[in-house]
Amino acid sequence: MTDTPVFRRRRQWLTDSRRTHLFAYALVVPVLLLIIGLVAYPFGFAIWVSFTDRVIGSVGNFVGLANFEYLSRSATFGAAVSNTIFLVVVTGVLKLGIGLGLALLVNQQLPGRGLFRSFLMLPWAMPAFVAFLTWRVLYQPVGGGLNLVLTQTGIYPHVIDWLGQRPTAMPSVILASVWRGFPFWFISILAALQSIPKELYEAARVDGANAWQRFWMVTAPGIRQVVLVTALLSSIWTANAFEHVWLLTQGGPSDATMVFPVLAYFGMQTQRIGEAAAVSVSMMPVLLVLLIAVTAVMQRDDER
Amino acid sequence: MEFVHPRRINRARRIFMSVAMGALLAGTSGFAIGQDQPYSGTQLTYWGGLIFSEEANQLLSDTITQWGEANGVQTEVVMINQNETVQRVSAAVESGTMPDALDLSLDLLMIMSRQNVFVPLDELYNRVGEAQGGWYGSIDLATDTTEVAGGRTGLPFGASGNLLLRRTDLLEAAGFDSAPGTWEELVAQAEAVNAPPVSGLGLALSNVGDGNVQVSVLQSYGGRIADETGENVTIKSDETRAYLTWLKDAWDRGVFPPGNATWDGAGDNQVYLSGQAAFIANTGSVGIAARNDDPELYEFTAYSALPAGPTGTISPITPQVRAVSATSDNQEAAMALLEHLSQPEFLQEYYKLAIYGPVLQGQAGFEAFNGEDPIHAGLLDLVQKGTAPGYPDVYNSAYADLMANFIVPKMAQRVVIDGWDFDRAMDEAQAAGQAIYDKY
Repeated sequence: MTDTPVFRRRRQWLTDSRRTHLFAYALVVPVLLLIIGLVAYPFGFAIWVSFTDRVIGSVGNFVGLANFEYLSRSATFGAAVSNTIFLVVVTGVLKLGIGLGLALLVNQQLPGRGLFRSFLMLPWAMPAFVAFLTWRVLYQPVGGGLNLVLTQTGIYPHVIDWLGQRPTAMPSVILASVWRGFPFWFISILAALQSIPKELYEAARVDGANAWQRFWMVTAPGIRQVVLVTALLSSIWTANAFEHVWLLTQGGPSDATMVFPVLAYFGMQTQRIGEAAAVSVSMMPVLLVLLIAVTAVMQRDDER
Repeated sequence: MEFVHPRRINRARRIFMSVAMGALLAGTSGFAIGQDQPYSGTQLTYWGGLIFSEEANQLLSDTITQWGEANGVQTEVVMINQNETVQRVSAAVESGTMPDALDLSLDLLMIMSRQNVFVPLDELYNRVGEAQGGWYGSIDLATDTTEVAGGRTGLPFGASGNLLLRRTDLLEAAGFDSAPGTWEELVAQAEAVNAPPVSGLGLALSNVGDGNVQVSVLQSYGGRIADETGENVTIKSDETRAYLTWLKDAWDRGVFPPGNATWDGAGDNQVYLSGQAAFIANTGSVGIAARNDDPELYEFTAYSALPAGPTGTISPITPQVRAVSATSDNQEAAMALLEHLSQPEFLQEYYKLAIYGPVLQGQAGFEAFNGEDPIHAGLLDLVQKGTAPGYPDVYNSAYADLMANFIVPKMAQRVVIDGWDFDRAMDEAQAAGQAIYDKY
């Protein structure tokens, strides 16, 4: 039996290479659909809604940049922008410092270090609302743990309203956020430290490098990629986190701790989801810049 | 206005009574309705608003369930934390999963009714009103959604509002036997008993609903949020300046508890229940909590109307309403259930357990409002003498939006936390308020 011309043409088109490619695409399609459905569509929809005057129960009309214009005139929005950036940067730096220090310490051959590692992970393992409500109790002016320690030990005889006054409100939120978030940095950096070959340290020591030089020339390059990824993830999480500010201060006093997610929540309370979406979308450029910067640095490292 | 302390009612007995009454009420109505059972075989979902009384919540749930059983309707009762009603209803509207009927606040009803989320209930509203001596004027006026929805979409079932709670043990020891009549007297009394760990004046200045009590203070000083048209914001005024002067003076005297600018919704409850405040403004839920958990504090608590300012007392009533969803497949049954829940037989028992004032004239004669219980007596007084929501301002969607953005508490925070001068704080509030009003 001989092949018909049509069948022959089909066989010529469907070469082994093409078949492999098609099979690969077929395998990717479900994931692609999942990403479109769970990431791209909600993301695109949020951007679209931010350009409408949509309220709950209505489709809304396209209003262009009106929502963003309204937000730009709001003092609360201005406070949310600066507070969010400040919170992300300061908590990031502090978590890096604490996480790196503890990781370097626990990476040494110390007795009971396994137990110590587990202990350090406790804040991360604790549900966020439990952690931040506990901090709220600690900060309470009357009967709060911090004031009790300060007054009972005579370190500071007066009660401090940690969350209720501008100079201490944001530092208090930062302290609680750092406490909850440093274990992620610690465990990530520890994992990176353990992947650095011991031989590099031996070689550096033989070459006469001191501790600082060993850290700067061997450790830092070895953990650089992990720190960058951790910084990116941690920044996104902190910028999007709602519960730390909401449970501690609800954005007050006088917008001293107002951040994007809390402001978006207030927008939702009035059913004006167009405005609420605009608040969330306003945050995207900042995170996008961070994302591009980190990705660029990592790519440059890879190319070296 | 002042009330004396009642006897404590045994809690277990009240739970038993509530369940028994639920069964009895549903049974009697079931006998009447069950003869033809027009809704037999249908399903009905009801979202009830959780309140600070376990017994009242149970009675509502049991009554609905038993009404369903008596009428052949398969009911599902979901009790919702009222702090989450906005989010839950918003999500349900967007996803098309609204319950057939629900409890909600007037603010949410007003906003949602603009989107035709609920069906008009005028006929039912009139029938219930006529049967029980008519609606209280303030309730009738406040819940009229005709302008935004073309009809009444809410059936009121209870009224709440802020009462002034005070510690009589502390105040009488300081020589104050009666409730303060003005805001100045309030500060004077608060200052007299202000000694750590007790703060005199436990009013919230934070971004929560309790912080909006400051709007009532501002209005009692003659200040207004907007003009008569309800379109132009008029926060910046000499009257507002007078209010801010009062506030700053009280703040400088140190009568406010530390942390009150960042309290959550339970902040004032907590300071009062822990004995750290001599005065708070509260709906009465604190009194219920004290009755159950701290009888001594309950004994030493008296309730009165909010103090007056130079232009009188502004004490807004907050009606709670029930509504029927426009997307419900079982609207007739939902309306029948709402009518059943408005019957005196049910509400007689419900009011004894709940922290609501009456909404119908005929309900004033209920046992709950006979004066034995100071909280209910205070709520009855509030309904009879209180002011409509927003009064003297126009209560519209822009006003509700401004309240939800806590513009007045934020202005107060600018003065006491940031030390801004009054003009600067008023300018910011005026601009922020007008930006909100311009959206409507």
